[in-house]
Amino acid sequence: MEVLSIDNLCKSFGDKEVLKGVTLKVPENSIFGFIGKNGAGKTTTMKHILGLMKGDEGEIKVMNEKVVYGQTATNRFIGYLPDVPEFYGFMNAREYLSFCGEITGMEKKDINERSEKLLCAVGLDKEKHRIRGYSRGMKQRLGIAQALLNSPKLLICDEPTSALDPVGRKEILDILMSVREKTTVLFSTHILADVERICTDIAFLDEGSIKLSGKIADIKGKYRSDEYMIETEDEASRKVLLQKFDKLKEEKGQLESVLLFKETDYDIHTVLAFVAEKKLPVIKIERVEPSLENLFLEVVH
Amino acid sequence: MRTLIAFTKKEYMEQVRSRKLLVLGIIFIILGLMNPLVAKLMPKIMEGMADQLAESGLTVGEIKVTALNSWEQFFKNISTGLIAFVLLESGLFTREYQSGTLVLSLTKGLKRYKVVLAKIFVLLTLWTAFFWMTFIITYVYNDFYWDNSEASHLFFSGICWWLFGAWVISIMVLVSTVSKSGSGVLLGTGGIVFFIYLLGMIPKVEKYLEIKLTGGLKLVNGQSVVSDYIPALIITLIVSDVFFIASIFIFNKKSI
Repeated sequence: MEVLSIDNLCKSFGDKEVLKGVTLKVPENSIFGFIGKNGAGKTTTMKHILGLMKGDEGEIKVMNEKVVYGQTATNRFIGYLPDVPEFYGFMNAREYLSFCGEITGMEKKDINERSEKLLCAVGLDKEKHRIRGYSRGMKQRLGIAQALLNSPKLLICDEPTSALDPVGRKEILDILMSVREKTTVLFSTHILADVERICTDIAFLDEGSIKLSGKIADIKGKYRSDEYMIETEDEASRKVLLQKFDKLKEEKGQLESVLLFKETDYDIHTVLAFVAEKKLPVIKIERVEPSLENLFLEVVH
Repeated sequence: MRTLIAFTKKEYMEQVRSRKLLVLGIIFIILGLMNPLVAKLMPKIMEGMADQLAESGLTVGEIKVTALNSWEQFFKNISTGLIAFVLLESGLFTREYQSGTLVLSLTKGLKRYKVVLAKIFVLLTLWTAFFWMTFIITYVYNDFYWDNSEASHLFFSGICWWLFGAWVISIMVLVSTVSKSGSGVLLGTGGIVFFIYLLGMIPKVEKYLEIKLTGGLKLVNGQSVVSDYIPALIITLIVSDVFFIASIFIFNKKSI
């Protein structure tokens, strides 16, 4: 089942077309990476999902319910973390979560239990100060806590890691990973390393439309080349290989000891047999996996 | 209802913790104390200036101060209180737009009309509390020094002025749903009130304008009668309600 589906969403600001028919499906229990350059329209798309902006065309459904601008009932399924979450600085973290719980209509007992659990999970349980003095990382963590308070079906995070240091990033990614069983996560980012680490599904948004989307494994499979790579330990064995298999290529920009060949040129087993027979010292032999970075660049250009 | 109460609670907490409640409280208490005080000191001030006045050919006779003099001060000074109130509260909506704090509340399913209702409720309760506090302080001191029975229709003229304040608040709320900045709210609210004030210069229409309600002094000292104020009272009541309701509709369609 799809937690979220967007069909042909269009939006213009003046004569600038920001979204040109975005179509997207987010399956349940996925961690969905919504990838795009700065200004690609990620935040705009998210604001439409939350009913904060009115689309010119198209339809959005959350849990099979249509999203309506203004009075957005579908938001009861959603937890949202904006790119720069802003809280009432005059409250402390507990008071803020309590406020959030009350405006979502949660029971007092549930609010206290969930708050305690979430504050522990995001490492703010010992924090007594008012939010005004929080660092960016702390705000981001409180942001996740408030988004998860009413156990949403869909957690939407707008670039949750962009402004954080490596430690902060790891913390946020770990939290996102840990909620996956109960909650589908949609997060926008331009940090591809984060996507490789935790995402199950991705969509590339570029110039207002989705250029590529699906399960990471499928996409990688589809774009997987029939290329293999051999990295030898020394120069001599590299030469031996090159003498035997003259179609081996040295890739530009790679280490010198790396050689590439296509499956159509040589059977991998023949090569392996040769390496074994000559007892050549190799560091690794592997099938070349397309990196998200390469895919992204390929799709965007 | 619970969500409305929760949001209202947050608004009060903000008023307390940002010290607005304290500052406004002090201002309105000072205003309340000043009215009888200035009236009480008036003879002394005039005595001190007697020589100067004599030089310009004016002689100061014996000045008799009554509760009316203090009420005269009240109707003059309370506008300062209202201005302070508007200045301090003008950012009640716009601060939330600018900082983006509303986004999280609204995406949690908080109904938009509840945001407007809670803010209107807070503004009106604060205005009511502050206004009548000043009124009561003045009343008690006047009773102590002089005799309030000299002033007629005190309570009614108080209601009139209070309603004028509520009308200004309704403008403030309405402008807040359109404007993006606190200064925009001040400018819009000030502009509308000033326009009505100018309109009030025309004798024939003055009777029907909200500004008429600020003239409670004439009622207190017996220069006019209650029925003179009824048209303006009814019109202000209707206009304020219309403004409040319009705010809710506009806010529902606002892009946050």
